[in-house]
Amino acid sequence: MSVAAIGALVILLLFVLFLMGLEIGFAMALAGFIGFAAIVNVDAALNLVAKDIYSVLSSYGLTVIPMFVLMGQVGASGGIARSLYDSAYKFIGHVPGGLAIGTVAAATAFKAICGSSPATAATFATVAVPEMDRYNYDRRLSCGTVATVGTLGILIPPSVVLIIYGILTETSIGRLFLAGIIPGLMVALSFVVTLVGWCTLNPKLGPKGQKSTWKERFASLPPVIGVILVFLLVVGGLMQGFFTPTEAGSVGTFAVLLLTLAKRDMNLKRFVKAIAETLRIACMVMILIAGATILGHFFAVTRTPYLVADWLQSLKMSPTFIILIIVGVYLIGGSFIEDLAFLILATPIFLPVVLKLGYDPIWFGVVVSVITMIGVILPPMAINAFVVSGVAKEPIQTVYQGIYPYIIGMSICLILVILFPEISLWLPRAIMK
Amino acid sequence: MDEEVKTLSGITTGISRGMYVIAGVALAGSMFLTVADVILRTFKMPIVGTYELVGLLGALVVGFALPQTSRMLGHVLMDFVTSRLTGGVNRFLRILTRIMGILLFAIIAWNMCNLGFDYWKAGEVTPTLQLPTYPVAFAIAIASAVECLVLFLEMFEKKDSES
Repeated sequence: MSVAAIGALVILLLFVLFLMGLEIGFAMALAGFIGFAAIVNVDAALNLVAKDIYSVLSSYGLTVIPMFVLMGQVGASGGIARSLYDSAYKFIGHVPGGLAIGTVAAATAFKAICGSSPATAATFATVAVPEMDRYNYDRRLSCGTVATVGTLGILIPPSVVLIIYGILTETSIGRLFLAGIIPGLMVALSFVVTLVGWCTLNPKLGPKGQKSTWKERFASLPPVIGVILVFLLVVGGLMQGFFTPTEAGSVGTFAVLLLTLAKRDMNLKRFVKAIAETLRIACMVMILIAGATILGHFFAVTRTPYLVADWLQSLKMSPTFIILIIVGVYLIGGSFIEDLAFLILATPIFLPVVLKLGYDPIWFGVVVSVITMIGVILPPMAINAFVVSGVAKEPIQTVYQGIYPYIIGMSICLILVILFPEISLWLPRAIMK
Repeated sequence: MDEEVKTLSGITTGISRGMYVIAGVALAGSMFLTVADVILRTFKMPIVGTYELVGLLGALVVGFALPQTSRMLGHVLMDFVTSRLTGGVNRFLRILTRIMGILLFAIIAWNMCNLGFDYWKAGEVTPTLQLPTYPVAFAIAIASAVECLVLFLEMFEKKDSES
């Protein structure tokens, strides 16, 4: 059997394993192992599995993932999200839809320390939905908003998705972080525009909240300043080459810990909860990466990514059209397989194509992140919607109804980011020469 | 039979939770160690070998968290097909995938043991602190063996997660 045929069979096997309900990370490892054994030999495959798992698990470079997850979890269990929401609410709560706009603003700020999307959705579902209930906000609007704002962290640094992309493609995490800032703020702005438009068309959806005095507004600012300082410390330290990414995550976690201790919102129980939650998320991600590494070594011997690249190039289509096909594959793939898992699976396959077409891998990282943002709220595998539906005890359909208007704005942002690479590339080029 | 499964389940729960605690201590330890290194470095007193230690602890963090993460249904999988299937087929697929998982982790455990012995015999150590690397391989082997137990027990359990 030819190498290409074995490659195709292993991909088929992989999807059969996925459909059967085997954990995605396990399936990638098993399919990679079987494929490698078929092409090279069983002994080499056994050796490969052990070496790959050992090197992934004991890699210093990959410890960045648990550290940044921990930073977000400490912030989440230490009540930072609530403080940010309180402040945003005091500034903007009195306009129509203001509590929802406040949620967007607070989540944008919270994402500066928390890179996990479902964690943010869960946190704001607990903090912001009851507040919006108090002012009779429509549940579609409140639940849809908290599910959607959770996605901002996929783009706004320190994004765990960008970190994983950086590791997979060996691109600078610092540059990726900078590249995510402008598109991230652009998407946040699209949320605000969506909300304003939505509430103008139907004012009953988001009634006005209470107006606060300027004194109250300024009194609510210290935690916001704290978060901005932590963000500058983490991202600035990383940009300046003062920290490795793992150090940036550790220092950031420590700084957030001090911030929550100063607010008297942290205790041993909450810290332990943050650690426990981090372990679960970090283990899930690392097992995906370990599985993808084994599968990646199989793909390397079959040269599958290069065959895909050659094939796509032979179609003689315009590069933009090929990129749109890849975007489509990510959107469809991510809708059925969990988005992060699909990103880990597909990126090593498509990156050679993107590079061959002459695109910047940093730009592609931002494109993939925007797709992932849409993916985590797009049915049927909309993890953020599931989380919010669970926390707010609202049927999933209601959450979806609240999500759809935002997807329009996000799709426009995705098209802009694809057509104008400068939106993502300008900032890293300007700062990191 | 049920009694034996119950006893095994109790033991596995205890081991998984204990390993999760060790993973948590390793995670917090890595974070504090790194912060201490960064602070002391500014006074030109870095903690030598921090990167190596954090890398090795990283293996404990993920490896030892693995069985409990499985018990909490923390790994991502596609269930939109299996959730639509009827009880019998669903149960068959569940048992089949658990057996595949057990095979995978048995392979990992066995070969990680071999790797550990290789490192031991070759006297493999980290470059700066000269720490032996074989205990890490054995630790991952143990975690994989416990993962096999967790997957085995999942064949007898209903699909509920532990929080």
